[in-house]
Amino acid sequence: MSSYHDPELEDILQDDELRRVASLLSLVRPPEAPLDDAFRTGLRRQLMQQAWAVSEGRTSWWRRAFAPPGIAWAGAAAGLVLIASLVVWYAVQQPGGLTQVYLQSAIDGKTNVSLQQPILVSFNQPMDHRSTQDAVQITPATNVAYSWDVNTLAVLPTSGNLAPNTQYQVTIGTGAKTASGQPLTSAQTITFVTQPPPSPSPPPSPRPTPTSSSLLTGEKQLVSLGGTNTSPVQWSADSSTVYYLDGKGALDVVPAKGGAVGLIAPDGVSSFAISPAGDRLAYVRAGKIEVLTFADGKTEEIRPTPAPVLVGWAKDKIIWAASDGIYNQGANGPAQIAPLPATGVVTVVSIAPDGGHAAYKQDQNLFVLDLATSPNSPNKTAQIGQAAAAFVGWSPGGSEILYSAGDKLVVSDMLGTTLSNLPSGEASWSSQDAILLGSDTDLYQVRPDGNVAATKLANGTYHVPQWAPNGASFVFFRGGAMWTAVAPAMPPEPTALDDATKAVIAFMQARLNAQADGATALLDDQGKKAYGDGGLPLVIKGDPRFTRFYVLTQETVATQPDTTRFVVRLVLTRGKIDVSEYEETLTLVRDATTRSFLVDQAVGGPHRDLGKGAEVVSVDVAPDAVKVSFDSDLDPGAVADGVVILNSKGKQLDATATYLNRTVTISGLDLKPGDIYRLVVLPTVRDVSGHNIAAEYDLDLVGPLAKNHPANKQGPNATPSPSPSPTASPSASPAAA
Amino acid sequence: MSDPSRDEERELVERAQRDPRQFGALYDRHFQQIYRFVYSRVREQTAAEDVTSEVFMKALKAMPRYQDTGRPFAAWLYQIAVNAIADRYRTLRPSQPLEDFHDLSVAGPALEDLAAHRDELRRIWTLVEALPHQQRTALVLKFQEDMKIDDIAVAMGKSAGAVKLLIHRGVTRLRDEATSLRPVE
Repeated sequence: MSSYHDPELEDILQDDELRRVASLLSLVRPPEAPLDDAFRTGLRRQLMQQAWAVSEGRTSWWRRAFAPPGIAWAGAAAGLVLIASLVVWYAVQQPGGLTQVYLQSAIDGKTNVSLQQPILVSFNQPMDHRSTQDAVQITPATNVAYSWDVNTLAVLPTSGNLAPNTQYQVTIGTGAKTASGQPLTSAQTITFVTQPPPSPSPPPSPRPTPTSSSLLTGEKQLVSLGGTNTSPVQWSADSSTVYYLDGKGALDVVPAKGGAVGLIAPDGVSSFAISPAGDRLAYVRAGKIEVLTFADGKTEEIRPTPAPVLVGWAKDKIIWAASDGIYNQGANGPAQIAPLPATGVVTVVSIAPDGGHAAYKQDQNLFVLDLATSPNSPNKTAQIGQAAAAFVGWSPGGSEILYSAGDKLVVSDMLGTTLSNLPSGEASWSSQDAILLGSDTDLYQVRPDGNVAATKLANGTYHVPQWAPNGASFVFFRGGAMWTAVAPAMPPEPTALDDATKAVIAFMQARLNAQADGATALLDDQGKKAYGDGGLPLVIKGDPRFTRFYVLTQETVATQPDTTRFVVRLVLTRGKIDVSEYEETLTLVRDATTRSFLVDQAVGGPHRDLGKGAEVVSVDVAPDAVKVSFDSDLDPGAVADGVVILNSKGKQLDATATYLNRTVTISGLDLKPGDIYRLVVLPTVRDVSGHNIAAEYDLDLVGPLAKNHPANKQGPNATPSPSPSPTASPSASPAAA
Repeated sequence: MSDPSRDEERELVERAQRDPRQFGALYDRHFQQIYRFVYSRVREQTAAEDVTSEVFMKALKAMPRYQDTGRPFAAWLYQIAVNAIADRYRTLRPSQPLEDFHDLSVAGPALEDLAAHRDELRRIWTLVEALPHQQRTALVLKFQEDMKIDDIAVAMGKSAGAVKLLIHRGVTRLRDEATSLRPVE
């Protein structure tokens, strides 16, 4: 034993005892490692898939086929080279090798597989096309077409797409033979799970990341103001012309694209406003109101007493503010429509674009005066904000007011109720519900709801921005001059359903990860009871195991608070195969404080075994139609009477069912919001393989609200702003009053 | 004269570098030894499978960057394995007790007596398991995997001298502790 000799270790094992130990070490072998042959072959297969994916990623033939012609030609050339090299390679390999037939697919074992792609199965040697195609079995039942590219078989659903939310099992049976007649030694199956269907309301595109470079376009100087830094501004109704005051009080006009300045009034103008129709311009000058009609160029004068200080429009009528109240021009001359307080220092700061309200300051407090109600109305006057609140602007429709309070801006209704808080800045509210926030140093854009961080549009000086009616162009002031630029459109607001979907996904993902705390955080008190003792399991254990989930259907069923309803399907898997599933119906309500959705109610459904006929995998509910997507191609003849909608009394609704590409569309409906309906799929429905569904499938539905309900609106003024108003300027500066 | 086995391996490597789909031949050639080595270190079948998968996946991915330095391809695979095992040990200790793995006890007779009993030969590895990680790895690669010092150096990312030092220290420590070995009665 001590005769151990290793030249490499001679210099370090000079002691007999050391050599003896080394001898023992060299003699002893640990127990044989237990080896699962399935692991060895499985890992090899996995490696080969990876290798093929790498190889195919270089020249994917079907991608080339769908590419623009120029790319296709380049792809074709590359493909020829690849084909040629493969032919040569196979010619070299054929005589002694390739004794076993392997197949692989890049999507084997994958989840979230795109719906718009063929199933590619690659073989390690040339195959006999006919026998291989005949040996293909697909679950769920799917009509397919085949094509070949060298040794790769493309299995294409004839409907054009794969079914969503579906586990496919594609088996190549032992009937498949190589070109030389060698059969597969055993059937081989690839499995994969497809992604959900495209969202009916695409999620909002990401907002631009704040950047040091400007997101504005067309920025240029329009005109020098001649001695003043800012000015009241009015845009023409068609956004082509800008009216402003120069440093001497002259009312001027300049084309928005730049050009010669025109003179409206040479001096003494303090306030001006364009009529909603855009045909007249009223301005206060030398204690009187002059009204210019653009069509004929004539000017009329109104000489009210007391003298006007601020002018505006209520539809086609001129209104103005004087020291003691708000007036309009009646049949017999000026008439007061609302008095101003007789105490304190009172200053009218702005008339709303619709002429329905006026904002005034009494000492240090800001008030809104309702011009449309009678003088004795209880809500004739409302204080806006706390002391020292300062008027900033109106919403385009005149239904909301912006004011500054300390270091923030506040959006308020006309009764002083705060609707949202925004960062501070010199603000302008566009017809597209975007608010520009200008300052000495930068320009931001934000939604009125303030739920999403403001987007920085540019660095630099952007004083008193004023949107054009088109909601794209705006003017601003910099260095004693008026400038113009075009701002990028804001991404669409997320809907309530978008927000709720995020909460549902987070909730289900936490459960899938067995993170009870994370899931519980998305439950309100009622929801916690639903998943409490004796209720639904929050963390799902056991075999078959919970491996995936998807949203079967989703609806907005109420507002104030926003309430959404989701049916989520939980899929249970044994080994690699999905074997059963069940549904949970979740009701989510937007929390009044945090504005986040929480699960308020949850109801579980029965378990169903999979692999026993067609399954419903997606249901899209609209007031006039319900689209039911299946995982299998159906026998069209069995569809018309097999998929129906019942009302709450169990009576079948009169509707038309049509079938195309695995989807049954039930149209001609008039689902009432909040009413209960039931989708019924009868066992008479069968797939193209002739298998009927195992048992009747029922899914309760709620009559939905209209799609794309805005997510973040709230309160009585929640309706979207009306179309662009010709009177775009929402504010007048105190200096102009 | 060139080593036919090395020439063949070199050819396999070059083919796999040109076409990843040829990696299967290298896998077939080296799977058993890598798996055995990994299993001997993690002592749990599932963990051994995980680490072995990781080793070959990493190898496949890194094939384009592999450079033949004259050392066996296996040395490179062992290097990946050593690192993968080290990563695993950072977060997970072996779950199977040593006694279960080797069916051994640390109590035993002196070396001569121990050598006289075939079953008890393996008990020496119990002492190996108690060595510091680097010494243990060096001894396993040398005496269990029969690797050359230079190849072990590649696998462990060390110089040949450093590997020799590790082996010397490991064997010396085993010698010192061998007297405490007692047979299982």
